[in-house]
Amino acid sequence: MMFSVDVGGTFTDVVAVSGSDIRTVKVSTDYSAIYDAVVGGAKELGLENGTIFNHASTHGLNAVITRKLPKIGVLATVGHRDTLDHGSVFRPMKALLDPNWRREFGDARRPLVERYLRRTIHERIKADGSVLFELDEDQARAEINVLAKCNVEGVAITLMNSYVNDTHELRLRELVREILGDIPVSISSEVSPIAHEYARASTTTIDACMKILFSDYIENLESGLSNAGFNGALNFADCAATLVPADRALIQPFRIVFAGPAAGTVASADFGRMIGEQDLLCSDVGGTSCDISLVTNGAPYLSTTFELEHDLVVSALANDVTSVGAGGGSIVQIGSSGELQVGPDSAGSTPGPACYGKGGTQPTTTDTCLLAGIIEPAWFADGRIALDIDKSREAFEALDTDFTYQERVRYAYELGLHNLAEAMTNVAIKNGIDPREYSLMAYGAAGPMLLPATLDLVHAKSVIVPPHPGLFSALGLLAAEQVYTSNRGAYTFLVPENAAKIDAIYADMEQALLESLDTDREVTIVRSLDARLAGQEFDMPFIEVPDGLVDADAIAAIIRNFHDTYFARTGSRFEAFPVEGVTYRIQATVASEKVEYPQLPARGAQPLSPVRNTTIQLITDTPVQVPVYNRLDLCAGDRIEGPAIVSEKLSTTHITAGQRVDVGLHGELVITSAASRGEQK
Amino acid sequence: MTITNEQPSGTVHETSLRALTNEEFVARYGADRFTTSLLNTKSTYAVQNMATAFRRQAFSPIVSLVYDFSCVIVGPREVDYAMGAISDGLPTFIGAMTEAVRNTVEEYGYDDLREGDVLVGNDPYRIGGHVNDLCFIKPIFVDDTIVSFVAMKVHQLDFGGVTPGGFSASKRSTYEDGLVLPPMLMWSQGKAVRQTFSLLFDNTRWAELILPDLFATQTQLGFGERMILEIIDRYGLEPYLGSIRYATDASAERMAEAITELPDGDYTGSSVVDADGVDDTETYAIKVALRVRGSKIEADLSGTSRQARTGINCTFIDAKNAIGCGLSMLLSPGIAFTSGNWRNIDVVCPPGSIVSAMPPDGAVTMYFYATASLLSAVSNALADALGHRAVGGDLGRNVHNTVGVRPDGSQWSTVGAFGGEQGPWGASEVGDGENYIISILANISSLGFEPIEASVPVVALSNEAVIDSGGPGYHRGGSAMSRDSLWLTDSTHFPCPVTLKGSGGFGVNGGKAGITGAAWTFAPTVASIAERQQLLSHSAETLTSSDPIAGVLHPDTKLQDGNDGKYFYFGSRPMWDLPAGSVLRSMTNGGGGWGDPFTREEQRVLADVRNGYVSIVGAARDYGVVVVGDPATDPEGLTVDVDATVRLREQRC
Repeated sequence: MMFSVDVGGTFTDVVAVSGSDIRTVKVSTDYSAIYDAVVGGAKELGLENGTIFNHASTHGLNAVITRKLPKIGVLATVGHRDTLDHGSVFRPMKALLDPNWRREFGDARRPLVERYLRRTIHERIKADGSVLFELDEDQARAEINVLAKCNVEGVAITLMNSYVNDTHELRLRELVREILGDIPVSISSEVSPIAHEYARASTTTIDACMKILFSDYIENLESGLSNAGFNGALNFADCAATLVPADRALIQPFRIVFAGPAAGTVASADFGRMIGEQDLLCSDVGGTSCDISLVTNGAPYLSTTFELEHDLVVSALANDVTSVGAGGGSIVQIGSSGELQVGPDSAGSTPGPACYGKGGTQPTTTDTCLLAGIIEPAWFADGRIALDIDKSREAFEALDTDFTYQERVRYAYELGLHNLAEAMTNVAIKNGIDPREYSLMAYGAAGPMLLPATLDLVHAKSVIVPPHPGLFSALGLLAAEQVYTSNRGAYTFLVPENAAKIDAIYADMEQALLESLDTDREVTIVRSLDARLAGQEFDMPFIEVPDGLVDADAIAAIIRNFHDTYFARTGSRFEAFPVEGVTYRIQATVASEKVEYPQLPARGAQPLSPVRNTTIQLITDTPVQVPVYNRLDLCAGDRIEGPAIVSEKLSTTHITAGQRVDVGLHGELVITSAASRGEQK
Repeated sequence: MTITNEQPSGTVHETSLRALTNEEFVARYGADRFTTSLLNTKSTYAVQNMATAFRRQAFSPIVSLVYDFSCVIVGPREVDYAMGAISDGLPTFIGAMTEAVRNTVEEYGYDDLREGDVLVGNDPYRIGGHVNDLCFIKPIFVDDTIVSFVAMKVHQLDFGGVTPGGFSASKRSTYEDGLVLPPMLMWSQGKAVRQTFSLLFDNTRWAELILPDLFATQTQLGFGERMILEIIDRYGLEPYLGSIRYATDASAERMAEAITELPDGDYTGSSVVDADGVDDTETYAIKVALRVRGSKIEADLSGTSRQARTGINCTFIDAKNAIGCGLSMLLSPGIAFTSGNWRNIDVVCPPGSIVSAMPPDGAVTMYFYATASLLSAVSNALADALGHRAVGGDLGRNVHNTVGVRPDGSQWSTVGAFGGEQGPWGASEVGDGENYIISILANISSLGFEPIEASVPVVALSNEAVIDSGGPGYHRGGSAMSRDSLWLTDSTHFPCPVTLKGSGGFGVNGGKAGITGAAWTFAPTVASIAERQQLLSHSAETLTSSDPIAGVLHPDTKLQDGNDGKYFYFGSRPMWDLPAGSVLRSMTNGGGGWGDPFTREEQRVLADVRNGYVSIVGAARDYGVVVVGDPATDPEGLTVDVDATVRLREQRC
């Protein structure tokens, strides 16, 4: 049996898969005791026969955002104490004319590491790797002793130009260990050996914090699972939803700071491959946010860097996930010019939507759907959460506006949909894809109740609601690959004379990685390269690099790949420009066990019939009676014409008038409209 | 000259947007409230997507690294070129776009434009900015009628003139400044106009980087056009135009409300620009009188000094922009930025002044100096009236450029990297000032020193906050930044700090000013960085042997000295040639403090001492807090001597 757990902001989802049997549990997340929820949830499903336990969580991100971080010290080059306070300086749109705006991570707000714990070391390496100032070990010892006196739990070492020459960082780590003992130490030349001192410093600082945060957690989790009878392999998902065994996760913990959303993309890609849908717009609508990503040709988009907050950069491979403040908890309110607004503020899990009765007085999208009849109170969240519809009504009535009650609910519903549609369109445009060629994968607790209605706004081909949509990200972890990565920065022009140098980079990285893997399973290594046109600043990531010896022919092939990729991604081709390699990457994939989705039988003699009717109102001109189907009753090949509701344990799918659902072989609901099928006009 | 802004089309609405019934709203904007705000969001997305894609495509580091460009959507003539949607970018670009598009299009000929045309222009006296900022304008047509414009202002690496890259405070006329393009077509009905490209590249440097950027610009304008046409196709033209008017009406209304909150009256303020590039005999004063009457403000710049003899002036268009941005940020921080922000502001601007320079003699190469100083004067004028809402002064202005030659004969340069480009903001009621940001009129990016060191023979030795430099206050001003650079080969420098004569960032609401910055050089024999294996200190002993570039400094110690100091003038040499091994030190002003420093909580002062922002001496002198211990070796062992603090704070009262 395989297990996976996705620790989200509101709920922790646990999934157990055995053959084609998929079982799920959803428990509330408590960030102060995540480990209890994880082990508790898994115990409900029985851990004794577990072979694999894959874990994703956003609690690293949460710790950063709430600044509940361990106390660490930073060692920087003399004269560069304030690199972490600097960032890129750029302000977002909302701050263009706001003298009260502050960068969240800056010393004037909430620095990750207070200035007095950022100590400078007498040393300096130049850009060519030569030494300007030798490392002054006596001075370094004195500074490390200050950190000792302050009882730091870990240290991040991030020196200027260490991506070219790591000797001072390596020696400093020895000195830290000598004085502070065996505490977590992250050095930037290992964590992220790439130019740009701020990005390297912030990544290394996050890494050191995550090492401490996850050390105890992983230890507790391992013992908790083992006490519950589990003796399989514990893996952690990273920001690209690839898996790392627990012991290796602690070597590069910055990779796992933010893992949940990526898992949904991987689940989509995997499920899509199975049902023959290679191009997907993935949309995960949860309580507070909607996470949007793309799968093209069966593969997620990867970025080489991402931000935890504005300008708080982590240089790690990550699925390109765009998060917008549009979820079930998005607050409905009246703006300063009298306009209705939905989100981006969220009621979160506390106080939550007004109908939760936990003190929330502002209406949310969940309240809108409850009043509209899309959510049936008796069946919400498998009956685990009681809803008070009167509270929803009161919250809408309390809005300070001249809109009628029906207009309030209807506009809130439509604006909520438009916000989602806008965000998805935006992602499509940013990546230059035509949504008509993409299906919209709808998941997350609130995804199926909202997203089908956006089909014609987004102009997608169809909306697909996968099985277990509320837990789909957790399922994705059982579809993820076990992947090991390594990368190295080295500005090198792609010319035949540099072939040997580039060959050595790949050969060294591959040898080191293979030695550290120590596995008897099948390992596949894929090389790639981030490169740019001479004179350009932006690197074009993931240019394919052939296997084997890098010689003049291989260089020519890489250059061809570069221009082809550049053309595919930007629509321009500049073959007259020399190409410069920036970051060299390898990725080793180790064969592992994966989830299989069960197949539904075809319908027999028994016709499909609804289990009850419900009334959809306020968002339609007049109340409409709508049939409700139980998802468990569906068979492959079934067809339902909207309006209709498909109800299941943890989700509700709302199919609007004019839409049609076709039930696929693996239980997926494929929702189309006349327009999306090209039958209209 | 008087600039009156009553756009669009002078409409003044009696009923507030909030109070409109749905029927009234539809009658005014052509769609319901919901659709209208939706369309504005869509336009904003469109223009932001243009900006994001452009960054990634660009070759010039000034675009891809520094983000020195902005994109906007502007309405047609019938809505008086109202600007309703913008990308993130520079307020100094964005706020002048309505004029830029209107003046360029009207002069070229509205009716002569065709589908697929792209207009270009860069004349500062027509569109604001300086010649490096090219404005590209694409008309968008529906059924042969212009329905909108999408426009980009993009800084080009070079646009001719006597200085590579353009930045220099010593240019004396527009002829030295660079190539001026009157409104002309860059693309005609989708086809590149060869003559325009030839004109451009016959007169500018670094065409190999600029040419692909021009094509990227055309791609993004086309993309913006497609997005707008999709909106119009789906929602209709009237609602689209209604959404532009709505956006500008909404920000005009917010500004009107904010102005009304100020008591009627005349508020005066001023600031100074140290000197131009000719000599230091003339200090330039910028004066502003803000006359507040009800929901309107007249900003009168009469009394401002004559235009400078070299390019530290700005045009009246940028003066108008700086005033509007200043009033927006002070009266309604975070307001949505549209051309409507200016509707209730009139500007009176004497021609031929430093903030309304005239061609050909009033060069505007470094126009952002005059605009930043004008913004300071506006802040200064309202400081008392705003009370607790006032914002302290910022880092000042010092953009430093360098050129040199590599052993192989190729030229290198740094643009805006080793002066005081980044530094503090003043404090405000929300808290202490930022330490490391840039003028609010600009919004450009900085990606650190490693990429520069990889291609230029320089070592960024230090780049740190200066102790006791932020203006003391209940909220402390951001700290001055001091930046030392070691030049490994001979180098030529074009320093241009012009805000070092006065006090540093001014304090507000009872807060004190930050320190005043300066700039020094150290000869190779003095610096001997590699030999000594040491950075240069900030002590008098070190500074005595320096060769100052600028600042009010003690003649012997070369320390800043506002009382007995002598002004060292950056233009005393036309350029500063530094032999290999020299060190340049640039220090910004400190940010202004907010509120009485003697009321700052003891624990916050203690934290400042622990963090090295305030010294033990400074804590007692500036805050009346007695801190005991050694921050260098035992930062957590510091304590406040409570009794001594009470005594010290009482003494002052």
